[in-house]
Parts: sequence; C-alpha cells; structure tokens
Amino acid sequence: MKQILVIDDAATVRLYHRNILESAGYSVDEAINGIEALEKALVKPYDLYVVDVNMPKLDGYGFLNEFRRQEDAVQSPAIMVSTEMGENDKVLGYAAGANLYLTKPLKPTELLSYTRLLLGEVA
Amino acid sequence: MNSLLEQFLSEARDFLQGIGEKLMQLESDPTSTPLMAELFRFVHTLKGNSGLFDFPEMTCVLHASEDLMDAVRNGRVNYSQTLADQLLEAMDFVGSLMDEIEITGKTGSNHFATSTELTKALRALLNAHNAVYVPVAIETYTEDGLAVKAISWSELPELDLPETVAMGLYRCSIDGETVFWLEYTPEPECFFKGEDPFFLARQIPDTAWRHVILNNTSSTLAEMDVFSSQLVFQLLTIAPAVELDDLFRYVPDQIHRVKIPALAFVKPNGRKDSQAIDDDFINNVLALLDKDEIETLIRTINTMLELSSPELWSSSVLRWALQLVDVEPENKSAQRTLLNTLRAQTPPDWSSSIMEMNEPRDMVTVMPSVSVNLSELSDTLLRDFNVVINTQREILSLGGTWSAGRLKSIAATLLGCYRAVQKLHEVESIESALQLALTKNSPEPLLDWLNNSSASTQELVFTAEEAPIIVSNLATQNEVKFGRRTEDAVITGAVAASKMLKVDQDKIDRLMNLIGEMVVAKNALPYLANRAETVFGVRDLAREIKAQYAVINRVAEEMQDTIMQVRMMPVSFIFQRFPRMVRDISRKLGKEVELVLEGEATEADKNIIEALSDPLIHIVRNSLDHGLEMPDVRLAVGKSVTGKLLIRASQESDRVLIEIIDDGKGIDPEIIKHKAYEKGLIDETTLERISDQDAVNLVFAAGFSTADVISDLSGRGVGMDVVRSAVEKVNGTVGIESEVGKGTRLYLSLPLSMAVTNVMIIQSNQQIFGVPMDIVVETVRVPHSHIQRIKQKQTTVLRGRIVPLLSLNDLLASNVEQLPNEDNEFATLILRVHGEHVGILVDEFRETVDIILKPMTGILGGLAGYSGAALLGDGSVLMVLNPRELI
Repeated sequence: MKQILVIDDAATVRLYHRNILESAGYSVDEAINGIEALEKALVKPYDLYVVDVNMPKLDGYGFLNEFRRQEDAVQSPAIMVSTEMGENDKVLGYAAGANLYLTKPLKPTELLSYTRLLLGEVA
Repeated sequence: MNSLLEQFLSEARDFLQGIGEKLMQLESDPTSTPLMAELFRFVHTLKGNSGLFDFPEMTCVLHASEDLMDAVRNGRVNYSQTLADQLLEAMDFVGSLMDEIEITGKTGSNHFATSTELTKALRALLNAHNAVYVPVAIETYTEDGLAVKAISWSELPELDLPETVAMGLYRCSIDGETVFWLEYTPEPECFFKGEDPFFLARQIPDTAWRHVILNNTSSTLAEMDVFSSQLVFQLLTIAPAVELDDLFRYVPDQIHRVKIPALAFVKPNGRKDSQAIDDDFINNVLALLDKDEIETLIRTINTMLELSSPELWSSSVLRWALQLVDVEPENKSAQRTLLNTLRAQTPPDWSSSIMEMNEPRDMVTVMPSVSVNLSELSDTLLRDFNVVINTQREILSLGGTWSAGRLKSIAATLLGCYRAVQKLHEVESIESALQLALTKNSPEPLLDWLNNSSASTQELVFTAEEAPIIVSNLATQNEVKFGRRTEDAVITGAVAASKMLKVDQDKIDRLMNLIGEMVVAKNALPYLANRAETVFGVRDLAREIKAQYAVINRVAEEMQDTIMQVRMMPVSFIFQRFPRMVRDISRKLGKEVELVLEGEATEADKNIIEALSDPLIHIVRNSLDHGLEMPDVRLAVGKSVTGKLLIRASQESDRVLIEIIDDGKGIDPEIIKHKAYEKGLIDETTLERISDQDAVNLVFAAGFSTADVISDLSGRGVGMDVVRSAVEKVNGTVGIESEVGKGTRLYLSLPLSMAVTNVMIIQSNQQIFGVPMDIVVETVRVPHSHIQRIKQKQTTVLRGRIVPLLSLNDLLASNVEQLPNEDNEFATLILRVHGEHVGILVDEFRETVDIILKPMTGILGGLAGYSGAALLGDGSVLMVLNPRELI
C-alpha cells in the first residue's frame, strides 16, 4: 500500500485529505507542522507528501527545503497545497522542492487524479 | 452531521477563541510582529477550512478578514481599535453561523446582507480611502402619483458588485423579479425631524447589496457637521415598487429608484492579462456556440477555468458565460457579445441588446451535468498529465541552486506520470538523465530530456489502443459519489490520531450516572451482610461479605475519583471570556480598566463551572458599572486613571474560592441602609442598629438594586440576590467586603464537586429525610422544659444564644406533633441557614451517608423544599431536604 504523509496544521484539512486518500486505498500519516513532518519523513520514507504552506514552527517551504537537502532520504514527489494563488507563492514552492502547486480547497477528484499520476498508478 | 463537519466546527471554535485572545493581546502590545503573524495564521487557516464546505457567507467574511490581517502583518494597514472591533464583529458573525451549522447542519439564507456588510466594512479598512460619490444626471418625471426622480440605468455610477451578488441578481432578474437600484439621500437636517435614515435603509426588504457613501467629499472629516447627515445609501433590492414607495412615502424626493435590466449585471471584473487567453480558444468557443454544441462548450470553458487563475478578468468572463448559457440558452447574441470581450478585454456593451430585450421570460433552469464519465476522465488524466509535466519543466527552468533532492524528486514525479500513462519505455531514459543531472548538479539534462522526449510535447495524444484503461473503478465510484457535495460522499469516518481525546459530554455524564448506580449497589452489601447474620444466622458469611465489600468499596471510590478528575475543568473556561467582555463594557462606559486574571488553572467540576458562569458575569458587570469610577473621578480622588479589576481563583482544601476585587469607589453602607429602608427591606429599628458589614450584605437581599439609572449593562432589576441563589444552588456561598473609596472584594466559595453529597438521615413522622451535612452545625437534644415561646415562636437558649426552633412536621405541613424520646427531649438539628442558626425539631437522628444526589425533574422539579432524591443501599428512596428554601 502506498504511504502518503499529509502535512497541515489544520485538523480539518488533515481529516479531509485523509478521508479522500484513504477512500482510494492509500495509507495516510499526518504531521501538524514542518518539524513533525521532518521527524516522520526521515524515519520512514513516504511515497508522496501533501504539504500545506502556512504552518507554525516550520512552514511548508521550510520543510521541503530541509527535506530535499537530505542526502539519504528517498525523494518522493511533493504536492504543495495552499490558499495563495499568487505566482510568487508558486515559484517559492517550486524553488523549495515542491513538484506541484495546487490551490485550496482541493476537489477530491483533483487530489486523487494527481496522486495517482505522481505515484505512477494505473488501474 | 459528518465527522469532517464536526471536526471543522470543533477546530473552528478553538480558532475563534484564539483570534479573540490574540486581538486582546495585540491591544496591549499593538506592534508585536509575532502576535500579528499568529493572528494572521489563525484567520488564514480558519478560512482555508471553511473553504472545504459550502458556507459562502462565512468564507467571504473570513477571506476579507484574512486580507485585512495580511495587510496589518505586512504593515500596509496600521492596527487600530476600530480594526480590532471590526474583526471581532466579523468573528462573532462567524461564531453565530457556526452555532447555526451545529444545530441545523447548514447556514440559513438570511445572512447574505450581514456578510456582505461585514465584508464591505473589512475591505473599507483595507482600502482606507473613502468611496468617491459621483453625482448623476437627474431628470424628473411622475409615476404612481409620487414624484420619483429617475435616471437611466446606463447612467448609474459604476457599482462594485461582488460577482456572486451580481450573478444572483442576474438570475433573479431573468426569473422574472424586478431588480431596483435605489439611491436614498437623506436631507442634512433629517436628524432634527426625528428621521432615522439608517433604520429606514435597513427596513428595505429583500436587499441584495447595499453600501453607504459620503455625499460631500470636499470637506475633511474635521470640518463636517456631525449633526447633519452627509450620507448616501445605495442599494439593490428585488422588493416590489409599491412596497418601496410606501416605505419612502414621507421622503419621496430623497430617493431615486431605477429598474435594472438583467444584462446590466453581467459585468466581469478581475485582473486583466491579455496573455491569459489566446485567440484560438476564443475562436473555438465562438464556433461551438454557433454550432450549438452547448455541452462541449461548457466543458471547454470549464477546462479553461480550471487552468487559469480565478482572479483573472477573463476567468470572470468565462464564469459569466457559463451563467448565461445556463440561464438564457436562447440569448446567443448576448453570449457572443460576452465571449467577444475576451479579445479586447473591455467590458461588454449591453446598451443595444437591452434595448431590444423583451420582457423577461420564464426559463427552465438547466443544471450543468455533474457526473463524470469515462471519456471525460481520460480527458482529465490527459490534462493533469500535461499540467504536471509542464510544471516540472517550469521548475527545471527556475534559476537558483539545485539540491540533489530536488532533482531526484522531479525525476520521481516524471517517472510516476509516465508510468501512469503506461509509457514505460521512457523510464530508463529518465533515470539516465537524472544520473547525468546529479553528476553535473544541474537541471539541464532533465530539461533536455523533457524537451526532446516525443511524449512530453504539449499535445500528448493517446491512440485508441494505447489509451490506458484508466482507473475504471474510480470512474464507476465517481459516477455514484460525485454529486453536488462531493465531500459529503467521499468522507468516511476516519478519525485523526491524537494524544488528547475530545469526548462527548454525554458520555462523561453517562459514566457519572453509572458510577452513581454502582455506589448505590455497593452500599447494598452491608445490608446484605446484616441480613446474613440476623435473618439467616450465618455469621461467617456476613464477615466475608463485609471483607468483600471493603474491596469493592475501595475500587468504587477510586473509580469515582477518576471520573471526577475527568469532569474537572479549569476555571479558565469561564475566565477566558472576561477580557473581551471587560474591554467591550469599559469602552461602552468610557472607563479605563485593567483586568488581571489569576489562578486560571484552578479546577472544579464541570457543573460547578457552568453554574458559575452567569453569576460571575453579573458580578463583573456590576463592578465595571457601579464599582469603578470614571477616569476624571478617579483622578480627582487621587487614584490612577486606569481602574483595576482582579479576578482570582484558588483552591482551599475541598473548595474553590473565586474573588472579584476592584479598586473602585466601594459600597457606602449608609446609602445601602437607606435604599433598603426605602424599599421596605428593613424596618426603622434595623436601620438604626445595623452594622456596616450587615448593611453591605443587604445588596444580596431580593429586589435590591442601587443603580440610580438603569443601564443596559446591569441593574435591570436583577440584582445580587440572583447571584446568591445561583451560587447557593451548587452549595456555594457568596460574601462581600467593601471599604468606601478603596474598593470592593466579592468572593464565591464553591465545592470542588457536587457529585457526591454527604447527608445526615433523620426521621420524622415515620419517614426518613436527608439533610446536607455542610449546613448541619450540631445535633442536640432539647428538653421539653427548655423550649420557650417568644412572640408565638418556639425558641431555646443554646450556650447563651437564642435559637429559633421550627418543627419539621410543621415545615412540611403535616399536622403531627414531633415525638420526644423517653426523657421528653426533642432531637434537634442546628442548621446554619443564611448565616443564622436555626433549630429543626425532628423525631430521631440516623446515620450519615454519601449519596449521589439527583435533582428533581419534571413535575417534581418545582418542589423547592427538596434539593433532590437519592437511592439508598437497601433500594429505598431518600428525599433530601433543602432547608434554605424550606425555612
């Protein structure tokens, strides 16, 4: 089963993403900020990261910057999910190491479709 | 309610609480950057969460709040009191919406106006410049006998309508409603004529949008005459003309009413970007429109919408186009005009279409199809594939330094995508491009690979046999699930893992009831042991039962303690609302108050905490209203301008002590005495003799209120007696100490928990009753000869004090004499009631027991003489008296 790490400080959003992803048969772990995400991601490699931008302690940019710098880590794709749709926010996300930048709220179809693509899944 | 919505509400409440607290803290430290960042994050996250649901009003207000906080955070707008007020008001509105959602699962339709108003107000703070009013050409003509000045719709000032409002009005208008634009300019002297323009403007029914602007932009704020109205109200309403004319029948000359044709609302807005849409697309959609291929048209537009940023002007045009196609399918010329504006990016000119427009017709509303079919999904996959691949190209073209991780992640992403579309032969070449990129530490090899790879061109096309068997199970699922509210269907009850558990209150209450029953069942064991010994004559068994009872008793007590712990809540639960309340009230009164909270972590039973909430609010209001003086008065008597209000909680053995201390003017016993005398609460002799402390205590007497003027804050006839009775209901006591000119200290002493009550069982008239032990002072036997009659009342002298005696049978209105014992002595309970000692004559004393007191409910709930009933170990019911009410 593919493992996905959902990183968001809002419990509601985490639950939302978890429900969508689990309904499609993925195994989902959660982290409430960048620090916790790093702790989890460095212990166990995930197949995909769904990352919020604005979080306390360490934000999404910070997490990706740090994570992409890890030599030994398995560098899986990361989807950055944010409410900001400015071009600048997008570029910041890409520069930090995101592979896709999507705007909240994500439609379930949207999230699942991209997830399947990034995980290389065919039926 | 689904679990996601529940999670949202519970989290949102925490956020609202947090926002309130942060605003309070900002008040004392208005320049703190971390505070502002935190505040922004709260609002931001809350808005993000609300976006998952279909609560447009809430999201709208939160969005405006977020933008405002963003501006504050970045220093574009200065933090001010007004700003805080406005934000708090917005949060209150959000809170009220959440209450409604919690009860009904949705928001009502009547919040539109409030949300628009709040959003406007927040946006106004953001823009911080006044709207400029452009006077319009006016010609007069008469209609319905009323002189209504009319102007043509095309001459109306540019209305900055939010798109959703405009779309709503457009639909209304097509559906046959008449939309009026109303401009109401109250005359400057209106305030002196008893007119209330604001009230009148709010009276207008079915208002869809309104705003208020300044009539006179030439003078500065300081030059304006506050006693004359400078306002112009502009609004859009679908109310009938007759109703509007009736409403303004006294001021017909002050309004202009203009009927607005539907198409006038079709006015796209947003950021213009000529690059956003290419001519091919425009030609394509126009061709589709001409060929009447509406479904393809809708799909094409939807696809474009999803690809482009929603804030673009062109996106707005496309959204409008969808509306037009949906609502007015026949009106092809309008649709064409609208789509044509995409080229020049100029607003559509409707004047010609409106001229030839007929009366609005009844339209059959065609809902756009929402089901996802297989072919559409393969389109989606294709589109998503291209989006991801192009994104990687974009990323690889970015400058800056490259870490190996980023390169690897891009390769991983590409691999995933190509695997997903079954282009497996690309895998190897991607990997070698990655190796090259890693050794060079540059994105070039990957970028080259992307540009050279045949499959990565913009138009990735699947041939018929190559088309992947796309996630067919997803497609079938989708057909079933993706209805209007997709979230509802997809969400299954997965619960997020966390170390803290949020448990339903009912469950705890149920646990509490169960342990109550267990205590009762456990208490039956000593009875059983007794029976084993006396009835069946098996002494050894009796001993064993008793031993077993000791074990069960210990476990049950521990269990009870544990459940009590769960029910314990910190007093901060009620304290947390005080900063906001004190701030609001003190500002209203024009007083300056510094609020200090202490001991917020002190814990007490949930019921106690909840029962405390209202009395405490009343006391705090009283202190602010009557206790603390106005700043100038304080200055005059040599105090600091800012009054101090201290609310402190502390634990004293098994009781919680809550003190409310202010350094205000204190309570003057002389004034209280005379007030009480005037109101007939005390007689003349008492007035002469009463001590100062006793006089101050009179504020707790029923029907006492000292405020000379009844304000809307406190003193509406509900006085401190209500506080006292509320506190006594949970076995608490309340006291007051005051020094004139120095301040007042009010204290509430409450039990930690009210779940287990220790009562003494007494017997009277062949029945048993319970009396709470905490008011029993002592038990004595009074010889018949020691009972004297003073003024028709029985009394006795106990250790040099005269104690009034009452017979329990009399109090319970049973016409039976109390029975003395063989020595002709009466069993007498000495109770402390309202601070005085009273003797109650009963027939016999029995043991004391711990009981779980259940308050009387239903038809028995009104029996004030009893505080409740409890089940005894032998299964009988014990009625527990409430002597405070009985006497």
